[in-house]
Amino acid sequence: MTSELDGIDVQLLLPELIMTIGLVAIIIFPNLGDARFRIPLTSFRLPVLIGGTRFAATRDPRIPNRIALATLLTSLIASLLALFDPPESGLIGRSLEVDQFSILLSNVFLAVLILCTISAAQRLPADNRAPIPSGEDDAESESAKTTALYDNRRQADFHILLLTLGLGMSLMAKSTHLFMLFVCLELASLSSYVLVGFHKETGAGGEAGMKYFIVGSVASAAGIYGMSLLYLWNGSLAVEDLSESWRSMETLDPLAASGVGLMLVAFGFKVGAAPFHLAIPDAYSGASSMVAGVLATASKAMGFAALIRLLVIIAMPMTGAAFWFVTLAGISVITMTWGNLAALSSENPKRVLAYSSVAHAGYMLAAISAIGSGLAGQTGTELILTAVLFHLCVLVLFKMGPFMVLSSIEREGGSHDFSGLHGLSSRDPLLAASMFVFMLSLAGVPPFSGFLSKLLMINGIVTVSAGTGGASTVLSWATSVEPVFWLAVAVVLNSALSMFYYLRIGMVMFFEPNEGESGSPVNPMVRGIVVTLAILSLAFGIGPSSELLIGFAEDAAVALMY
Amino acid sequence: MGGTGNEYRLLMPLIPALLIVPVLALAGFESVEVAFLIVLAPLVSFPIILISGQLYNGNKTWKHSLKEGGVIALSALLVSLTTASWIVIDYIRGAREITKDASGRTAASWWDWISFDVLLSDYSLSSERVIGVGVWIDSVTLMLLFVATFLCFLICWFSLGYMNTDPINENRNHRFYAEFVLFAMGMFGMVLADNFLWLFIFWEIMGLCSYLLIGFYFWKESAAYAAKKAFLTTRVGDVFLMVGLLILYDIYGSLEFSVIFEDPSIGGTVDSDKLFWALIMLFIGAVGKSAQFPLHVWLPDAMEGPTPVSALIHAATMVNAGLYLVARMVPFVDIGGNGVAGLDDLGLIVAYIGGITAFMAASIAFVQNDIKKVLAYSTMSQLAYIFTGLGVSLWFYNHGKTDAATLVFGGSMFHLFNHAMAKGMLFMASGSVIHEVHHAHDHLHEGDDGHDHHDFDPQDMRNMGGLASKMPVTSAAMLIGSMSIIGIPLIGGFWSKEAIVAKTWKASLDYEPLMMGPAILVLLTAGMTGFYMSRMWLMTFAGEPKHQVIEHVHESTPWIKEPLLILSVISALGGFGLSVLGIVKWLAKPYNYDLGINEQSVIEQVIYELEHAFLPDDPNLRIVGWTTIFLSLVIGPIFAARVHGGGLADGQRANPLISWIATLSGKFGSQDVTEMSQSSLSEALQNRLYFDHYYELALSKTVIPLAALAAWFDKRVVDGIIRRVESNSVLGSVQIRRITTGRASDYILMAAIGALSIFALAWGVSG
Repeated sequence: MTSELDGIDVQLLLPELIMTIGLVAIIIFPNLGDARFRIPLTSFRLPVLIGGTRFAATRDPRIPNRIALATLLTSLIASLLALFDPPESGLIGRSLEVDQFSILLSNVFLAVLILCTISAAQRLPADNRAPIPSGEDDAESESAKTTALYDNRRQADFHILLLTLGLGMSLMAKSTHLFMLFVCLELASLSSYVLVGFHKETGAGGEAGMKYFIVGSVASAAGIYGMSLLYLWNGSLAVEDLSESWRSMETLDPLAASGVGLMLVAFGFKVGAAPFHLAIPDAYSGASSMVAGVLATASKAMGFAALIRLLVIIAMPMTGAAFWFVTLAGISVITMTWGNLAALSSENPKRVLAYSSVAHAGYMLAAISAIGSGLAGQTGTELILTAVLFHLCVLVLFKMGPFMVLSSIEREGGSHDFSGLHGLSSRDPLLAASMFVFMLSLAGVPPFSGFLSKLLMINGIVTVSAGTGGASTVLSWATSVEPVFWLAVAVVLNSALSMFYYLRIGMVMFFEPNEGESGSPVNPMVRGIVVTLAILSLAFGIGPSSELLIGFAEDAAVALMY
Repeated sequence: MGGTGNEYRLLMPLIPALLIVPVLALAGFESVEVAFLIVLAPLVSFPIILISGQLYNGNKTWKHSLKEGGVIALSALLVSLTTASWIVIDYIRGAREITKDASGRTAASWWDWISFDVLLSDYSLSSERVIGVGVWIDSVTLMLLFVATFLCFLICWFSLGYMNTDPINENRNHRFYAEFVLFAMGMFGMVLADNFLWLFIFWEIMGLCSYLLIGFYFWKESAAYAAKKAFLTTRVGDVFLMVGLLILYDIYGSLEFSVIFEDPSIGGTVDSDKLFWALIMLFIGAVGKSAQFPLHVWLPDAMEGPTPVSALIHAATMVNAGLYLVARMVPFVDIGGNGVAGLDDLGLIVAYIGGITAFMAASIAFVQNDIKKVLAYSTMSQLAYIFTGLGVSLWFYNHGKTDAATLVFGGSMFHLFNHAMAKGMLFMASGSVIHEVHHAHDHLHEGDDGHDHHDFDPQDMRNMGGLASKMPVTSAAMLIGSMSIIGIPLIGGFWSKEAIVAKTWKASLDYEPLMMGPAILVLLTAGMTGFYMSRMWLMTFAGEPKHQVIEHVHESTPWIKEPLLILSVISALGGFGLSVLGIVKWLAKPYNYDLGINEQSVIEQVIYELEHAFLPDDPNLRIVGWTTIFLSLVIGPIFAARVHGGGLADGQRANPLISWIATLSGKFGSQDVTEMSQSSLSEALQNRLYFDHYYELALSKTVIPLAALAAWFDKRVVDGIIRRVESNSVLGSVQIRRITTGRASDYILMAAIGALSIFALAWGVSG
């Protein structure tokens, strides 16, 4: 019997293999000790290493964080090398394919997880010399000491979860088989549920994790049900087969349409599309900021990867509009409007960012639904996919950035309302300036990368609708132009609406007086990275660096389509 | 403060900046490829200076070793200067890497920011449009680029001595240097830009920075007012400029130079009336930026800024932007090329505006007592010369008289060079005087309770006199600068001014009687320039001290003196040297002429130039030329000497030449002008011919009521609507968040409803 994995290039899965090794290392390494096994009847003691009193090096609570960071960095380097030198043929059996698309997404996931790990070192500190509470402490210092010890104990848990999340996401991007895709998606999702509720001692954390888990599993259940319907219809779950059958289908088969519709629910939950997004703001505000950042960037990118595979690759007829066009267009407009409106009156910066993330999902859904209009053609599809992928890439910079800023403030005293941001400009000008850059970029102000990605998406939508409509007066033109055009209008109007709450964050940072406490100093490493992210948000908006990234996104789009 | 050799250790950071260009050259880069460095270096240093200034304010190293950012600014400007010089040298040598096209220019694209398709009015897609920026290099660009980078560098150098020794600027200088480099970036970018859009963007950056720099002492009401006035007045011009650009875009569908200048007539189909109005709009923008009649009112007030700012904005760079824009109009009207016929009115208008401004500004300069204000009016007047020359040149181009046109075009551009060098130096020299008089005054009144401070104006020439013996370098520099501006034969500005005056007369005598107006005005102005520049010098440096403060004045620090020395040499010799090298023809592109000694030997070339300047073939021009020389060299200065001249006080020594001139000036007798200075004409001139007055009157009658109406409309109607939108949005926001109950079961219910809607919609679409 020959294995499916026979004769494939190990190099293709190098990042995932590294992550697996790192995972094993985190599990084993902190448990190494001087335990010995006495061979019966002799006095010879064989060291078995697992158990006993731990060595000084393995006892260090900072070890898991370091292993995770090293693993992810190595993995990212491997993945970056692959990005610059893509493999000729990346097929691994029938269920995985390594191409530009999956490599680009792997890079995105890994970058996000690295940022999260760095932030975690500050948010979830490991103290090598944490004192043990004694009877003389008062209640406050005792709880502080307990928390420190507690944090030390769960270092390994947190980083194991991060690595499994990375593994799941990275493999998901490579899946070309719906079953594989779903397994990987669930691997990532389950880790993310636990990560959201990781601070279960805070009440909000446990509740958020629970809610996210319940709603998420309902969505997953719907997705699996939809997948089974697709299997009933076609007899295969390989993306290639499904795509082929869909194209040869003469009239829309209800079984197929229902299957795709149900899977849309599952993936809609992942990307945060209305009305499946309701648990998202709760999850973000309950989770610690860097985990929320992972959800808003990597997890969302994963959802979009799955959604694009499902809708654009599988459920696209040869000619004409796809059946999901109107649905998705409706969802996108509702999503962006809902997100922006809800963010307006929110008093919790994490919730504001959560709703902003929902709104951004709406913009991307609008772009994808323009493909579904059937007018896009090859070039239009390529243009839009490039724009969406580019947006997912640069989101890492200016979405993970603010969450890292919030994460630092969280450590200082709280990020549950705007007062934590008050007077940040006088406390830490660099952090405040970077935060403002992120806000401008999120709002889509030139010359930041957020502007470029939004422009590319709008340009994609408008290009699809270009050439339609044509009349002498504005009114008759407005009625005759393709409805796709109005998606672009919706995006533009929503962007205007969103300026309000993005600039509000800038305002409280710069104009509200600093409220007393100067707070503990921010970790210089975190600050340096935040500033770097801000500079990169600019660099990827203009100049050759943006062209490079757009080039990668374009390659990825092409690799996905053909 | 300053002055010790030790100070030069500050210049260590300049060494790496100086090395960048040689390293790039050795690494095989070509000069045009790295042209972006000219703009990038100051752009990058801008946030660095600003942020470090905020962070390290008051820090010792920051203050003394980095001069509050001055050294960083200087390094950045040195990178720009060396890169620009590299390009200039390559271009002149005709080096392999710079490929010139038929009309002698080079275009290269730096980066395309955004490229996209445009939905045209007939709903079809245009070909790809690019919003990007590149370089457009021809001789005019290079000349302006060199002037700007060179003077910016020297003025920054000067500022190290001027700004950092003034206690009033303590801990604020990082703002000055940051704004300074941003301004420099705007100027370099504007000159290099290869399309009108980016030209406009950089133009506006300069406008913003001039506002910030003029209002550097914003706590002084007059400075805040002057900054606002400069900004708003140039803004009037900018609006017209923008309209002009929109019309141009409408005509050509692009703002790229390479597209427009390829064929400005679009195969002869262009609507010349439309183009005419577009160019007029551009010209109004130029008039605002270059402070010409009737948008000149901001320039004298702008002297409220620190003196380096005056040197930078009002001599070296920003005021030249308008001239540059007009110079860029040549391809539109050049019917020898692809230009459009019937635009000769444009040339006439430009020439008239120039002539009127030249005369008006010179006459106002007669009565100014503030040393910087005299220079401000002189700047207006000299710029007006260049405008006249450009106007004449546009007229010639539009009549197909390419030879005459190119000569006067080159002459005008050359005058720009001479004027910028001389005027930059004059402003710095005046800064040196003001600085030292001010210090002397502070020194004199140390320990006083300071009641006297407000009565004494260190810029008022009536408090000076006899400074020649105290400030030998400054007085000599100022003498050379004034001579160059006056147009004393063989020195600096003479070579270019001669060309402008002669060609204006040629146009009026041989071709167009209407040109007589500007021709007479510029001729008269030549004599008047002789008067007011001499008057300024004599009042400041000759005669006996008019105030006790003068006894305590010393020469400035080396930081201030060195730029003066360098510029003195250039002002004195540059004009002659460059004209021998044929710069006039080189600047006028169509000759495809290389700068340098071409066919003839140096001696022949020198003789040719002298002959051309003093004994032209045309008898009319010979008369005009000699009249100009007579007026500016003899009449003007002698009148000035009669009023203000006088030898130095006994026992005061200056260098022999200066001393001789001062003594000579005392020999023309003296004339009491008290009566004249009380006449109504003098009063009108004192009041700047009431322009400001009438402008303010007109504004209060027209714009202010309109603005009040607009404010009412904005407050009641626009704000009302926005507030309603806002409150409704917030209301909607609260409503929509009510759905987010926080109960997982509700969320699942919503998800279920969503899923059902998907089915319903899919059903509806497929069914």
